[in-house]
Amino acid sequence: MKPRTILHIDMDAFFASVEQEANADLRGKPIAVTGAGHRTVVTTSSYEARACGVKTGMAVWEAKRCCPQLIVVTGNNRKYTETSRRIMAMMQDYTPEVEVFSIDEAFMDVTHSLSIFGTGENIARQIKARIREDLGITCSVGIAPNKLLAKLASDMHKPDGLTVIVPADVPRVMERLPIGALCGIGKKMRRHLNLMGIYTCGELGRCDETRLTRKFGIIGTHLKQMGLGRDDSPVIPCGEEDEVKSVSHSMTLERDIEERDDILRFLLQLSDMVGSRARRYNVAGKTVGLYVRYADFFTSFGKQTTLPGYISLSSDIYRAALSILDGVELEQPVRLLGVRLTNLKHQSEQLQLFEDERKRTAAARAVDDLNQRFGSLAVTFGTLLPAKKTGGSHVISPAWRPAGIRNVEVK
Amino acid sequence: MEFTIDKELFLKSLQKIQGIVEKRTSMPILSNVLLEATGSSLHVTATDLEVGMKSTYPAEVTTPGKITVGAKKLYEIVKELPNQAIVFSTKDNDWVEIKCGKVKFNIVGLSPDEFPYFPEIKEENLFEIESALLKGMIEKTSYAICTDETKYNLNGIFAKVEVNENGENAFKMVATDGHRLSIATGALKGTAGPELLKGVILPKKGVYEMKKITDEDSGTLMFGFMDNSAVIKRGDSYMVMRLVDGEFPDYNRVIPAANDRIVTVDKENFTHSVRRMAILSSEKFKGIMLEISSGGVKISSSNPELGDAMEDIDVAYDGEPISVRFNARYLLDVLAVAETESVEMKFRDELSPSIIVPEGSDSFLAVIMPMRL
Repeated sequence: MKPRTILHIDMDAFFASVEQEANADLRGKPIAVTGAGHRTVVTTSSYEARACGVKTGMAVWEAKRCCPQLIVVTGNNRKYTETSRRIMAMMQDYTPEVEVFSIDEAFMDVTHSLSIFGTGENIARQIKARIREDLGITCSVGIAPNKLLAKLASDMHKPDGLTVIVPADVPRVMERLPIGALCGIGKKMRRHLNLMGIYTCGELGRCDETRLTRKFGIIGTHLKQMGLGRDDSPVIPCGEEDEVKSVSHSMTLERDIEERDDILRFLLQLSDMVGSRARRYNVAGKTVGLYVRYADFFTSFGKQTTLPGYISLSSDIYRAALSILDGVELEQPVRLLGVRLTNLKHQSEQLQLFEDERKRTAAARAVDDLNQRFGSLAVTFGTLLPAKKTGGSHVISPAWRPAGIRNVEVK
Repeated sequence: MEFTIDKELFLKSLQKIQGIVEKRTSMPILSNVLLEATGSSLHVTATDLEVGMKSTYPAEVTTPGKITVGAKKLYEIVKELPNQAIVFSTKDNDWVEIKCGKVKFNIVGLSPDEFPYFPEIKEENLFEIESALLKGMIEKTSYAICTDETKYNLNGIFAKVEVNENGENAFKMVATDGHRLSIATGALKGTAGPELLKGVILPKKGVYEMKKITDEDSGTLMFGFMDNSAVIKRGDSYMVMRLVDGEFPDYNRVIPAANDRIVTVDKENFTHSVRRMAILSSEKFKGIMLEISSGGVKISSSNPELGDAMEDIDVAYDGEPISVRFNARYLLDVLAVAETESVEMKFRDELSPSIIVPEGSDSFLAVIMPMRL
């Protein structure tokens, strides 16, 4: 394989930076961006706050304990997705091979653009300058021969960094690097590897492959390659990803709920959100899953049911989710609810022969069209009306993408 | 119980019920076949509570009695036995001994007392029907039976007798899956009972078993109803199927009356064209396009993941041009069972149901709903 030049662009404290840029009073101060509602968690904190120990995922009270002068800002997801879209669009000016990895991260394969722009550093500097001038925020860029190393590099000098790992440097960089620093090796995998006496990437790369495959199966080969700093995975531009395997929505409720009617109302709302997104992208699913997290935050359950046929209408999804709910006894009040549709297939545009079926699909289509134009919940179930401003802390999902089925309209 | 029976005959009797016994069931007895020896005959019975079959064969009965044995295993055993008389006898605790020449099998059975009740058939409830007629009508409709089990009222064939203004009986079978519908019509001699005048839904599995019976030979069968079941009798075999308890949709309402754009195509040629175009169909892109104008029919398909294809078919057409898109499978299913050389396709517009009928025949009519353009 010809050597590639891959850039990983990672926005620095993205949500917090956007807020600080928008409001001069926040600049230079420890701030934390949270979801809506009073019981949400920190989604991003500024570098000033991080210095005090504030971390993503902390409850607000916890963060305030670390950093009493912390300023808490409720996130404005629409602003972030809009900013993200503009950044991703800038990258498109240098190569069409841009893979949006999350709302604030992207990979670019610039191998074929070097004849125009010279070097990867040159492209990185231009992008950094444009993001700073146009949007007033900073990012860190890693440049390397593959995605694994590029991601590693962007994290080396944060914020506002630019780090290049050239092929000759790879063995030296990997030698002392703790395995946990690699994207793809999480807490559990790290523990497994540590038990095998492997702590650094150097050790992982030297490890006997059969030893790894015996323990981890096919992943073993991949692990050794990671230890050696090798990664063949391509940069996959938006729209060329594999078929999406599930459509789901979940929400943390304003307060813990116990009343069956309240639970059902949220269940219906989530079913409708899942259904309308599935229909918009012409998929129908056979398996419906329900996820419930209880008030204590730590206990939860997830169950799913597979139906005889494929469904995408909100009412059908609701009915399936309800049957799961009816099959369990809730132990505590409910804190978070999630509904998921999986086992997807592409739904053809086959018209229905019988009028009542046709009316059902036509009605769903009309509602979807209206909601598309006037915003979600413009037309909805009567049951959802009394609580139109429903629960949910509106934390943006890491799977968010600027386009396609993963694109969720944010509030 | 002990009886002696010819191997080939025993094998045939067991083969016939293989489609009926349940493979996976919460009631083990339903995987078994009931063998009853009386007088000089062996009765072989199987049921899944929806469809049941009971056949009688000549056998040399030494001791009358009955037993149930796993239908699949017994079939496998008998199939591999040498071609000699089989001596079948029961032992204590529902064990069964099968001897054939120098081969001996001991297998475990289940008490016949647990076997579900099989109704006694009253011959006077049955009327004669031609096997060939039944076979043809099932062929022309069964492809459209709905496989989505949630739509239980569509999981079968609707059978009904309509009496026309001349007092003649028109026997109709209708199947639909909500996207297409197929109707076969035949003449029924004699008078139809109240069940057929009202209409009944024959379950899918029963229909397929009935089809097997009609495949075996021509001639006449006895057909009728009792206790919410349909009964078919052929020679010494009965088949009973519980009717689907549900309301079949009013199919007459979905047969369009105003489809005045009519194209007649040669069945063979058109079938090949559709098959060629369908090569580019996939799960995601399965529609093929028909563009009909005075120049003929242009048939095409396009799949962004593969490419596109098109073909011109010369036909005479002087109506308004029309474009319509269909699932290729639905067209091919209809073309496969149409018996005439040419078929007529009748359209109204691209969003309305279209009709396909064999040219000059009223024995068959198919309605297909198009896909969105």
